[in-house]
Amino acid sequence: MTVIQKAFLPRRRVVRAAAAALVAAAAGATFAGGALAQGPDIKVGFNTDLSASASAEYSRNAVLGFQAAFDDINAKGGLLGGRKLVLVVRDDLAQPPKAIQNMSDLIDNEKVVAVFGPTNSGNALAWKHIANQKKVPVIVSLGTSTDIVKPMGGDNYMFRVSATDREQIRSLMTYAKNNPKTGKVGFLVDTTGYGQAGLKDLTEVSELYGIKPVLVEKLNPNDTDMTSQLNKFKAAGVDTLFVWALGTPIGHVVRSMETINYFPLTLTSWASDSKGFFEAAGPKLAEIPLFMRSVSQDRNAKTQELFKRIESRMPAPSGFWGAAHSYDSALLLAAAIQQAGTTDGPAVRAALEDLKQPVPGYMKTYEAPFSKTYHEGLSGADFMWTRWKDGKLGPYTDDVIIKLTPDAYVKG
Amino acid sequence: MASAYLQIILSGLSVGGVYALVAFSFSITFTTTKTLNFSQGEVVGFGAFVGVAVLSLLGISALAAPGITEGLGYLAALVGAGAVMGAVGVLLFLLAVRPFTGKPGMNWVMSTIGFGIILQSLGLAIWGPAPVMVASPFGSDVIRIGDAGIRPQEILIFVCVIGLVVVLDLVYRRTTFGKVMRAVAFDPDAASLMGIDIRKVMVLTFAFSCALAGVSGVLLAPIASASLFMGMGVALKSFSGAMIGGLNNPRGCIYGGFMLGLLETSVAFWQAQWREIVVFLLIILVLAFRPNGLFGGTVAEKV
Repeated sequence: MTVIQKAFLPRRRVVRAAAAALVAAAAGATFAGGALAQGPDIKVGFNTDLSASASAEYSRNAVLGFQAAFDDINAKGGLLGGRKLVLVVRDDLAQPPKAIQNMSDLIDNEKVVAVFGPTNSGNALAWKHIANQKKVPVIVSLGTSTDIVKPMGGDNYMFRVSATDREQIRSLMTYAKNNPKTGKVGFLVDTTGYGQAGLKDLTEVSELYGIKPVLVEKLNPNDTDMTSQLNKFKAAGVDTLFVWALGTPIGHVVRSMETINYFPLTLTSWASDSKGFFEAAGPKLAEIPLFMRSVSQDRNAKTQELFKRIESRMPAPSGFWGAAHSYDSALLLAAAIQQAGTTDGPAVRAALEDLKQPVPGYMKTYEAPFSKTYHEGLSGADFMWTRWKDGKLGPYTDDVIIKLTPDAYVKG
Repeated sequence: MASAYLQIILSGLSVGGVYALVAFSFSITFTTTKTLNFSQGEVVGFGAFVGVAVLSLLGISALAAPGITEGLGYLAALVGAGAVMGAVGVLLFLLAVRPFTGKPGMNWVMSTIGFGIILQSLGLAIWGPAPVMVASPFGSDVIRIGDAGIRPQEILIFVCVIGLVVVLDLVYRRTTFGKVMRAVAFDPDAASLMGIDIRKVMVLTFAFSCALAGVSGVLLAPIASASLFMGMGVALKSFSGAMIGGLNNPRGCIYGGFMLGLLETSVAFWQAQWREIVVFLLIILVLAFRPNGLFGGTVAEKV
């Protein structure tokens, strides 16, 4: 009985699960008796939505990624002289109060040494102060809101291995800056928290690049007709349109583009990789947006191997990135614990900020990914340019992308 | 720029067409029973899924390219959704409205809302929460007028609304049933004394109202995709349209729906984020000066 299976059992089966767990524990104890002397298990929490919102699918992919990494590390003898890593999963039901309660439970009752963070950025923002106060390192492998890893004064215990909005926007802005056809720029965002946070990042990053939008418009995510907004962009002569919205509204945006026969270069949030977008747009119009995607199984032979390993248990194969980010997060945490020689929170944080050995993960090989002031494990250069083609998501490249060098990305 | 204004009108009429259909379905129960079905939004969503179910029973993929079979399948989906939701309307009347008609208080408000929640939960249990995209029977190629455009499905909705207005006029003014409906609307007690079976008329209007909402769901599915939550926003806007036009005037409701659609697209062309604020402020203004809506007026008609 693994942690994953336990986490997903309906409540009425808890009694049976408990019985099975007892048997498993007894069996484990027998094996442990025969093994070399070792310390107690190292518990790591995962506090996320597993059942309540659409993002639960990504969390469930993440559980598979964490567990795969833990299995691999434990198979090689665990950490700190044979101690096993154990994942303790808590469902936050996408509700901030429940997420805060879980955090206290994980740290005070379960005595976890670190926590993996959620899909819903708002929940991480709701409890990040607890992690910082109790000095428990957190690695967020899913949520993308820029503010999650922002320091709150004092040592910062929040780290991330995911595609942040800001890094996606930085890449798209780099593309716009280096594309001779960019011309006039416009921003179209939805009225959700996601769209509004995106607008803040769009505004700040565009200033870094010296790009000024000629028009900023908003859209209601429940609307199906965006022709009014698009006609304003058209009248303003916008050639390049940034769209920061959830998947389905972006689908309706490209449909409305067809209605008024206006096709600017369209750079969007990675929500364009979703099923909702594709169904709303249809196969032909889905090919309009260019966006960043963190990873897909066909990135290389290694990612294919991980995909095959967990494929049959993944609730949403398009959310494979959740598993890959999470696997890498687990490796980084393990490397830090090993380097620190202890599970003590401040020591692990310090080790994360100064990793001496490269960590070969699925996304890339991490060489000193974090520093005292920089807590993002992935950056725009680690993502893939993506576009739909013939009904499938695929890597995209053109003359502009080929010429982009790391120097083209403006930091800040 | 001319095409931008033309697009405002085209988009406004196509958005407004949906509002008009649902607004109309609100008014028919109001005129005869003085009650409203507050679960109309759920009926729209449930109806759309009944349509999807009919398509899958016929073995037609909801996303199949348009053709004769698909066209007939879509027609069957419209009829199926109308029939099933008509039956649901009868059930709604018997369970949630009849026990409270003629009694003081507004219990029917709660009971119709409750019926909607039951309907939606039932739908979630059967079909799950995921939206389903449905292909339009006439394809989705844009019909272009200059640089403005409209899709075949939007024209279909517009045609349906116009057809409905014509049929409604004929039924109301040329048939005995129309006369009966008008009589019940005008004075139920007098109508009853004249030998009209009011209860039957009431059941029929609820069945018709729900059937119409269900059909609207199937019509809307190729534009917004079928979802059990699709009707909530639409129902609120449609109700607003009905209030603007005048709840006791079915034709006024249709005008109100179109006016609201046009208003929305025009305001969005000015400032999209101000749309809801401006729209609802105007509704409040209209109601302040014309409590019965623009076309409502007091009834002073001899039947």
